[in-house]
Amino acid sequence: MTILEATKIYKNYGNKFNKQEVLKGLDLTIDKGEFVSIMGASGSGKTTLLNVLSSIDKVSQGSIKIEGNEITRMKEKQLAEFRKSHLGFIFQEYNLLDTLTVKENILLPLTVTKTPKKTAEQKFAEVAQELGILEVKDKYPNEISGGQKQRTSAARAFIHEPSIIFADEPTGALDSKSASDLLNKLSQLNQKRKATIVMVTHDPVAASFSNRVIFIKDGQIYTQLNKGDQSRQTFFKDIMKTQGVLGGVQYEH
Amino acid sequence: MSIKHLIFQNLKKNIKNYYLYVFALIFSVSLYFAFVTLQYDPAMNEVEGSVKGAAAIKSASILLVAIVSIFLLYANTIFIKRRSKEIGLFQLIGMTKNRIFRILTIENFMLYFGSLLIGILLGFSVSKLIIMILFKVMQINAIAELHFSTEALAQTLIVFAVIYLLIMFMNYLFIKRQSILALFRIVSSTETRVKKLSIWEIVIGAVGIIMILSGYYISSKLFGGDFTTINELFLAMIFILGSVILGTYLFYKGSISFIFNIIRKKKDGYLTIKEVLSLSSIMFRMKSNALLLTIITTVSALAIGLLSLSYISYYSIEKTAEHTVAGDFSFTNVNDGEKFEKSLAANNISFHERKIRVIQADANLKNILDTNLEELNFDPKKMKLPVISDQAVDTIDVAPGQAVFTDYNNALQKFMSFKASGQFDLIGKSKTIQLTYLGLRNDSVLSLDFTAGGLPVVIVNQTDFERLQKDINPAIQNKSTLFIGIDVKNEDQLEKANQVFNEFKFNGDSARSRLEISNGMKQIMGLTMFIVGFLGLTFLVTSGCILYFKQMGESEEEKPNYSILRKLGFTRSDLLKGISRKQLFSFGIPLVIGLAHSYFAVKSGWFFFGTELWTPMIIVMILYAALYSVFGILSVLYYKKVIRDAL
Ligand SMILES: Nc1ncnc2c1ncn2[C@@H]1O[C@H](COP(=O)(O)OP(=O)(O)OP(=O)(O)O)[C@@H](O)[C@H]1O
Ligand SMILES: [Mg+2]
Repeated sequence: MTILEATKIYKNYGNKFNKQEVLKGLDLTIDKGEFVSIMGASGSGKTTLLNVLSSIDKVSQGSIKIEGNEITRMKEKQLAEFRKSHLGFIFQEYNLLDTLTVKENILLPLTVTKTPKKTAEQKFAEVAQELGILEVKDKYPNEISGGQKQRTSAARAFIHEPSIIFADEPTGALDSKSASDLLNKLSQLNQKRKATIVMVTHDPVAASFSNRVIFIKDGQIYTQLNKGDQSRQTFFKDIMKTQGVLGGVQYEH
Repeated sequence: MSIKHLIFQNLKKNIKNYYLYVFALIFSVSLYFAFVTLQYDPAMNEVEGSVKGAAAIKSASILLVAIVSIFLLYANTIFIKRRSKEIGLFQLIGMTKNRIFRILTIENFMLYFGSLLIGILLGFSVSKLIIMILFKVMQINAIAELHFSTEALAQTLIVFAVIYLLIMFMNYLFIKRQSILALFRIVSSTETRVKKLSIWEIVIGAVGIIMILSGYYISSKLFGGDFTTINELFLAMIFILGSVILGTYLFYKGSISFIFNIIRKKKDGYLTIKEVLSLSSIMFRMKSNALLLTIITTVSALAIGLLSLSYISYYSIEKTAEHTVAGDFSFTNVNDGEKFEKSLAANNISFHERKIRVIQADANLKNILDTNLEELNFDPKKMKLPVISDQAVDTIDVAPGQAVFTDYNNALQKFMSFKASGQFDLIGKSKTIQLTYLGLRNDSVLSLDFTAGGLPVVIVNQTDFERLQKDINPAIQNKSTLFIGIDVKNEDQLEKANQVFNEFKFNGDSARSRLEISNGMKQIMGLTMFIVGFLGLTFLVTSGCILYFKQMGESEEEKPNYSILRKLGFTRSDLLKGISRKQLFSFGIPLVIGLAHSYFAVKSGWFFFGTELWTPMIIVMILYAALYSVFGILSVLYYKKVIRDAL
């Protein structure tokens, strides 16, 4: 079942006289329960794509439907409403409020939707257990490690069981051990809870945890790789190869 | 990019950011210039006569400069810290420190002297208005005529140029001392390290609240008779001051986090957006600003207290004059009285005359005095009091053997209060008359000449009065035993009667005019109120600006938080509601504490200043709070912009 459908999306920056086209008529479909990675050279528009898909930024043209809702035509208030009930976010940095404890940070999305306190408590215990951050729940962000921070923000993205989770380079600041820990948790959650995940990454290892990798170039989809039944290792090699080709092309540019 | 271009770019950006700084600068310059113009204006000394108007204004302008320079220097440290990143960047691209300093100096120069110029122009144009306000509160009927004073101009320029040099010197030191790395780090190092509340802080928090409350408690007892010697009183005052100020500091340091933490614990992690933005942020911020907030609170309390007291005095002038002079005019010399009455009649001013015989008698008040003040100059067993017959006062009747007191000074009442009733003695030359005291009245029957500056007047029945008159003690009688009170029947003629009175040039000890006295007090109190008022206003504006600048910094620091929250699906209005609440606390807490401090300060000693506490104090407090809130509202508007740009 399709959960997200983007058709012919364009995104321009600048004004009439000095226009920069970042996305040029890109089409993208994501199914429910998929774990998709987006890769591409720096400046190719990955973050831009993620932002427009997640309603944080507006497209210049085109349509984006999430669970059948056309989000490009929504007003600011509706969008906020939509984000709080349907979307979850994990970002590389600046993702936790440093004046709130881990628990308070994680519970934030539930207070937006005014979930009863008891249910909230239950959900928190569950997700914190899964991500292994129950012990640090009363600490402040500057008292925990980078990996724990990242897991906290993952927990926050998961707690209200959104239809889609968007992650922009969630492993960028982590060492390879913490990174693969987090990615393991993500794919576990993806399998166990059937959560849809869209992740931007530079790291082929991170990308190899997903079911599908989309490569962006020149504002359009360059190619896609499906994991299918391959092992993670072979999928990883495929990704490396494609990235090499993409990178070479990029340098000529 | 040339230096010139850079400077202009920065200037453009800064003016938008620091419009409030420019405003405060213009405000203080124009006020200072107006004050100095007044000081050099010949009208000042001519009009007031005995009051040294120019000298008072001069000391006020010195205080003004003190407030303003502290403000400007402090504001500058905030700004330069905020721009440290930019300065580091300049250094990184290879500019020398001297060059950066030059850029900063030129940039500041334009901003500063631009405001200075506008301030002077504005100051000159409002100085007429200001002197009119002064004349109005002093009730002087004079036309304000002002000339542009070159002395005032020169003095203003010099004073503010010196402050500018100081600012530049500070910037110079700042730039000299910083390395590139340190410059990049500065913003994060001043940020609060968010940590868990320790036991120590809980103790601090509790101690802070206890100290403030005990200070308040002692202040309410200050003049209640618990402190019986001057030394004890003095110690008590020192204790109140110390414990309240220190308590305030500890309150900001610990109590706020302590209280907010309790609230937060109750929520068990489940915070609403309002709580996220207000509670959790303020908890950590107040702590790091504790010293600044303590200073602002204390000085606000001082300003509100002084304003209240001077307004209380001003407000009570009529009442005080009434107790000083019973009637529109009063005489103790029969000749003077007759001369004046004749003259009034000649001027067709109809009047009403009261003549009251006044006997001085020693009274033994031991049984009805409700005080234990040791260091009093009076012996409660032998206190000289004026005695009159109840026939002299229309509104009061007492039976033989009974007595009421009246005309008792407000402040003295606090030191020596009487019991509700009881027995006391009037001691004549040979005999003693025992009387029953029935209570205190508030009628004004005699002028100050008879009451030794505020002691009560004893009103007895005519028979008792006659008994006392026969047994009079000549050693303690006043020179005159006759009080002549003259009331002008038609209010409109009072002014004219007063002119007649002034023409005579009577001896001030035996002839008094109430109007003359209240006018004199109005001049002194008016001038005081004027000066305290403008100084208070300056302090209010500068401290409001400082809090606003602090909020500007906080909003920039918290901007990433707003963008996270908006991504999570909170709308702009959700955030703004939370921010409004945060600002309610950020500005409201110092204000409320300042108001509470000044309330207890005023409450403990207001009776020395006047007869009416509530109306003048509440008016002052409401005005102060309203003006102060403007800065809170401005800061919310600033946050609104930051939130809008956060996504
Ligand atoms: N707010 C903006 N205004 C103008 N141009 C922008 C803006 N954001 C991005 N761009 C431009 O759009 C292009 C794509 O940016 P984007 O951030 O999407 O790249 P990216 O693929 O995420 O790169 P990276 O891997 O380095 O994060 C860049 O050329 C960038 O200059
Ligand atoms: Mg990016």
